[in-house]
Amino acid sequence: MIRVRGMRHHLIDIERLDVEGNRVALIGPNGAGKTTLLEVLAGMDRIREGSATVLGKSPHEVKVGWVGEFPDRTMLFSRVCDEVASSLRFTKVEQTEADRIVLEAMAMLGRPDLLKRYTRSLSGGEKALVAFAAAIVNSPDILILDEVDSHLDEATVKMIADAVQRSGIPTLFCTQDMDRAATADHVIFLRDGKVEFSGPPAEVFGQLQDGCFYPSLWRLSQ
Amino acid sequence: MRADLDFIAEREDFKLRCAASYSEGVHLVSGIIGSGKSTMALVMASLLQCQGSYSTKGVQRTILSMQFPEYHITSSSLDDEVRSWGLDPRDVLPRAGMEGRGAIDPFKLSRGQLKRLNLACVFALDPDILLLDEPFSSLDCMVKSRVCKAIESRQDKITMVFSHERSVLPRVDSISHIADGELRYHGNTPDAVMQWSSPPPYLRKALERGARPKNIALQDSMEALCAIRD
Repeated sequence: MIRVRGMRHHLIDIERLDVEGNRVALIGPNGAGKTTLLEVLAGMDRIREGSATVLGKSPHEVKVGWVGEFPDRTMLFSRVCDEVASSLRFTKVEQTEADRIVLEAMAMLGRPDLLKRYTRSLSGGEKALVAFAAAIVNSPDILILDEVDSHLDEATVKMIADAVQRSGIPTLFCTQDMDRAATADHVIFLRDGKVEFSGPPAEVFGQLQDGCFYPSLWRLSQ
Repeated sequence: MRADLDFIAEREDFKLRCAASYSEGVHLVSGIIGSGKSTMALVMASLLQCQGSYSTKGVQRTILSMQFPEYHITSSSLDDEVRSWGLDPRDVLPRAGMEGRGAIDPFKLSRGQLKRLNLACVFALDPDILLLDEPFSSLDCMVKSRVCKAIESRQDKITMVFSHERSVLPRVDSISHIADGELRYHGNTPDAVMQWSSPPPYLRKALERGARPKNIALQDSMEALCAIRD
């Protein structure tokens, strides 16, 4: 899914990274450079040195469904229905078809009621959910989610995870929930801009047993 | 010191009913997204009008820490931002892990770093009532643990924690849950642990195995499981 060679970009310093898998979790302390790396892999920023590919292509050539850590900052429209439909309308999908896709997406996420609301009236978690819906409606090649789950309750996180799994869309997600990271195919642990560990969850968390970056459910089973 | 709630708050077509009393200690209010946690916090911060009554006794100062820390930003440097709270940056920035970074723009920080800065400010002010709306969102587990300690240390004040956090929670004195537009007070810990309708996964797992944790922190679940193994 991801291939990085000699990337030097702001605080990111990654000599080599090869990641396979359909669900990839990026974890690490605050300020480790997780958002910077995600922005590069989403094609939102050009790297100063080195190279990166996503799904075998340059990040700029990949259709990315992006949800950032400030979902309300990226909202463009005052009505939720317009916000969720934005990417479809920008790509000139016919109105009736766009409405159908939007309603289907919100129904899949269990909150079709939000479509009649104004974005300014949404709670923090609801804004994250709407941003996710807007990211998924245009059938992206990959979803890149920057700590979206930190604004969401457990039931909503599960609903999103189930929706993503059903869609089969490859997902790269950053999270501070280690129990959730443990469900990924591959985990990357970033610290001070460097990849400290990268591999299957059992291998990565095996290196992190002594600190708090260890799944609480695994800790309970010990 | 106490806060008495008996009100109905309305926002657009949403209605929230709250009837409860909170005294000194740490009080958790859980609920799914959009359930009304922030609405309750806004009423307690006197930022939203309600029908009925919200009153306090022995309370001089209430401070709300909002879910999205960028909503608090009023200045263009970290130094000025800390000063806007009436605090000295030399005291607060080191506590936020930002010593020597006073000149930078707050919007250059990640949301997790902004949250750390905001929490360092509100804890430094030590208000009688501290309303923490999703205090753990965007924080890594090391910072979450430090925030838990700061919350637990405020035993002589009222601390309201509005959260759906799943991994790192502080020890609390009472648990309430909002569902279907109504605040449900589950009572004091340890009894409230068994009554709580939405425990985090680790606590749910411990309860399923027959453990009886005394409180809601991960450590409590681990100790309770050890007790039934012994």
